[in-house]
Amino acid sequence: MENTKINAWEKTLNGLKTWARINSPWVIHYNSGSCNGCDIEILATLTPRYDLERFGVKLQGSPRHADILLCTGPVTRQSRDRLLRIYEQMPEPKFVVALGSCGLSGGVFHGSYNIAGGVDEVLPVSAYIPGCPPRPEAIIQGVVALLNSLKEPKG
Amino acid sequence: MSLTLPSLVSILVFPAGMFLILLGMVYEYVDRKLVARYQNRFGPRWFQPLADMFKLLAKEEIIPDGVNKALFIFLPILGVTAALTSALYTPMLGFAPAFSFRGDLILVVYMLSVLTICLGLAGANTVDRFSLVGATRTLTQLFSYEAPFMLTLLGPALAAGTLQISQINAYAQDTWWMILTQPIGFLVALIGLMGKLELPPFDAPEAETEIVSGALTEYSGRGLALFRIGKNVELVIGLTLISAFYLGGLANPLEFILKTLGLLLVIALLQSLFARLRIDQTVGLWWRIGAILALVQILILVVGRLFF
Ligand code: SF4
Repeated sequence: MENTKINAWEKTLNGLKTWARINSPWVIHYNSGSCNGCDIEILATLTPRYDLERFGVKLQGSPRHADILLCTGPVTRQSRDRLLRIYEQMPEPKFVVALGSCGLSGGVFHGSYNIAGGVDEVLPVSAYIPGCPPRPEAIIQGVVALLNSLKEPKG
Repeated sequence: MSLTLPSLVSILVFPAGMFLILLGMVYEYVDRKLVARYQNRFGPRWFQPLADMFKLLAKEEIIPDGVNKALFIFLPILGVTAALTSALYTPMLGFAPAFSFRGDLILVVYMLSVLTICLGLAGANTVDRFSLVGATRTLTQLFSYEAPFMLTLLGPALAAGTLQISQINAYAQDTWWMILTQPIGFLVALIGLMGKLELPPFDAPEAETEIVSGALTEYSGRGLALFRIGKNVELVIGLTLISAFYLGGLANPLEFILKTLGLLLVIALLQSLFARLRIDQTVGLWWRIGAILALVQILILVVGRLFF
């Protein structure tokens, strides 16, 4: 009897947490060596025309405030440490989204001597958004898909 | 209208406490939605501030290296407490204030500044350079808007001849709206409130494009949530005070809602109209124009009272 009560309470609390997480994703944007094409598209996505505030998305300056790390471009050997550091500065729970062909695999820079590879060489990536650069609609779809995947119970 | 509530209820539920926190969220939503509509956007959904708050409370709280831990945890709590306390002396929803004594206006003005001081100290507590710059700017801004804002609240108090908020509120109800008799004071008070809340164009202390997030850069999770609650509460109290003083007093809940939301409409418009000022421009604006205007207003009042 006691146990079921506690379980029900925990279940509602977890439900509330998941609901809040899905409805208030704050993003931070990091350019780990992109050609700037993807970054321009992210900025376009945040403009009033596409209005991400509909989904509660807010661009944050500080990694401490963010839930989602939008990472564009291949990871250069130079920026690898910074990328890792930004990721470590974010509080749990956190997610990484790799943006653009370069973020996925290295893209046109694949095989360069100064490239560590795609974002998933360095960090655990939750969603991939392909395109060179991806259109704002694609970015929105990617982020919303990530949020929807949080809904389903894992395993 | 007077309604006496048991003290515990008035501290925990209404007018301070739960009720005010929820009301603060409603006002935050209205503000964000209005700004969005002014920018031709759709804007956030109605539960957005609630979701933000729950998410922040459920997130991990990182205490960075090099800070004084006790202060790091304690400052947000102190800020929110001070903001909530000041609500006890304001005519929330048009009801008589829960507590009231001669000169409570001064207490409320100080209580409202405590949150800003906590914010500045919180920034100065960390070793992060962005927080430090943010803290410096927060405190600089505090010194620039505080004097004119105080002077403008003094205007209606002088006219009413008392420093007790409930009496000023009652006085405002039986005379002309003071926005007509003291238009300069109203203008400075409204803009002073925007400076207090660090809304654009006075958001240099938390300019994301230059200094990450200002004094709050190192805060995550609970601390950040508390500071946001404090800001919202301060928004509601500021709107209440200005509409009680300048917009003909607050006699009942309907008047409260109409007047404060009307003020919010103007504040949201100003927010979306202007671009951010540099911190030195903010200080210059307040001391060169704001303070002088407020002083002129007081002077007119004093001279007027001498002769009429
Ligand atoms: S995917 Fe295309 S636009 Fe994006 S960084 Fe790579 S080359 Fe540039």
